[in-house]
Amino acid sequence: MIDIQLLGLLNATLQAATLLFVAALGELITEKSGILNLGVEGMISIGAVAGFMTAVNTNNIFLAVIVGVLSSSVFASIHAVVTVVLKQDQTVSGLILTILGLALSSLIGKNYVGKKLDTKLDSFFSIDDPSNILQVLLSQNIIFYVAILLMILVSYTLKNTMFGRRLEAVGEDSKAADSMGLNVTKTQFIATCLGGAFAGLSGVYLTLSYVPYWTDNMTAGRGWIALALVIFGGWKPYRTALGALLFGFLEALVPRLQTYGFELNPYIVKIAPYIITILILVLLTIYKGGKTGAPKNIGIPFFRENR
Amino acid sequence: MNKYTLSKRQAVNELSTFYSFLAGFLIALVIGSIILLIQEKNPIDTFSLMFKLSIGSVNSLSSSLNKATPLILAGLGIAIINTVKLWNIGAEGQIFMGAIGVNLFYINSNLSNPTILIFLLLLSAFIGGAFCILIPALAKVLFGVNEIITTLLTNYIVIGLTIYLVNGPWKDPNSLNFPAAAYVGKEVYLPTMFGKLSYGFLICIIFTALAHYLKNKSVFGYEMRIAGGSEMTAIYAGINAKQKAFFAMLIGGGFAGLAGGVELLSQTHRVSTGISQGFGYTAIIVAAITGMRPIGIFLVGTLFGALSIGGSVIQTIGVSTYIADIIQASTLFGALVIQFFFNYKLLRVDDD
Repeated sequence: MIDIQLLGLLNATLQAATLLFVAALGELITEKSGILNLGVEGMISIGAVAGFMTAVNTNNIFLAVIVGVLSSSVFASIHAVVTVVLKQDQTVSGLILTILGLALSSLIGKNYVGKKLDTKLDSFFSIDDPSNILQVLLSQNIIFYVAILLMILVSYTLKNTMFGRRLEAVGEDSKAADSMGLNVTKTQFIATCLGGAFAGLSGVYLTLSYVPYWTDNMTAGRGWIALALVIFGGWKPYRTALGALLFGFLEALVPRLQTYGFELNPYIVKIAPYIITILILVLLTIYKGGKTGAPKNIGIPFFRENR
Repeated sequence: MNKYTLSKRQAVNELSTFYSFLAGFLIALVIGSIILLIQEKNPIDTFSLMFKLSIGSVNSLSSSLNKATPLILAGLGIAIINTVKLWNIGAEGQIFMGAIGVNLFYINSNLSNPTILIFLLLLSAFIGGAFCILIPALAKVLFGVNEIITTLLTNYIVIGLTIYLVNGPWKDPNSLNFPAAAYVGKEVYLPTMFGKLSYGFLICIIFTALAHYLKNKSVFGYEMRIAGGSEMTAIYAGINAKQKAFFAMLIGGGFAGLAGGVELLSQTHRVSTGISQGFGYTAIIVAAITGMRPIGIFLVGTLFGALSIGGSVIQTIGVSTYIADIIQASTLFGALVIQFFFNYKLLRVDDD
């Protein structure tokens, strides 16, 4: 027997971590190709609202996930067109993607605020004994297992497949990659849209299971924490997952501290994750002494000189 | 078969930013019209109503200029920080911190001269904004921590702090439905020039000139530009790049803080979550679209202020207020697309 409260904490940690991790993994793929996309928050929001609207209207959860993932991916292609094809500033484009995504999702989701879902994105098994650790681990949401699969898949792809090597080559030195005959534009475009798809998956998890309802600005900065996670993970999938667990643990722990006998102001508790994120980023940068492991070409538009 | 390749233009038209902005704005209006049509609203009616209600009368025009004031001040702060090639995504939090600074000074002071008091309150707003960016600035210059993420996260921290203050220590018992701090006294309200136009707009004009001077004419601006350029050049020129970056960030944060102070003293008159309605984010669009030019920020900020007023009043005919945000963001996307054609040209190359 393990303490039920402790398992509740584990459960909440895994849920919060899944949400952050899926979005961070997508951003990792995008950044590996040398494209920085600061629009994660906006992309999650678009996926969240599109998935939710589909679920309310069709009651088809599978379709809702597909629609959410695809809409975020299409939305990310705006960033791809502006930065990859038209070679404009990635920071500006990404920021505006966030602003546009939040405004657009609020606009189209206006009539869905407060609506209830008939079917939720569920787990394979349901818990009947919350004190059994095996049951807690097996009864996680489907997206949790999808996230684990994606982690293994992305890590394998980056290391062992042509696409992964191509991504790395483009992100490290796009000029050399180009002279080797790789299609830089195509690779970066695909990586950006893939990042959007992952953010969309995170978004549908948010509205179809984690919360589950739709309201304005419900992403609450998670997209930005996902961006911090990529730095934390040193652009490596497994380390990013570790970071997601840590951040998920903090998000789950802080509201529970009171049950462990700590007197905390609820308003201060809400801002603690953001303070801790900054603190971790600072400590991490000091620890690594500036060598973060970032792709060398990140943020620099690829431009083939006249030959 | 012919293939095409890109070539960078040698000389880019000096007014290209302006033309890109105009074209981007037109593109945004088209996008806005499409969204309105999908929502079964007549775009021409909606836009002319927005136009009428934002600049159609002295009263609505002054509302628009009042709305533009925090956008411009925060935008100027972002532009100053960008001189050293750094980003300030934390203007939203700095605006709130500026307002918090005002209230903190106000409730602890017993000055009787309102003019001096207003001056000191605005100073505390500036210091509040600078204080807000202090941690990201220190983290950046001392350890090289990415300032984009840290400044953004401070927004959530400061807004959380504001919610705490107005529900806790500063809670006004008379404000029942909407948690807020007590109103400041009428003697420190910024007076109006004409119509509803606050003297805050005059402050805004002065600080636009100041930012223009600081960025483009002063020695400090010159040093900031070098500090933001190549590291080696800065070393050869004997310029302490980190020190310049640090002060640029504090000054830029101060500008955004001042925006919050002016907003409190001229519009809301108390601290609440209503101090800023995303001004700090819109200011990023305003600053980026003008290529970080203070005078451009003043002009575009004025237009966007009018757009926001137009956007908030058309709610009455059932159009979402987010349409203004979407037009603003689309303007920048449109401008980025057009800017590409100013910077590059397509060349046709024949296969060997």
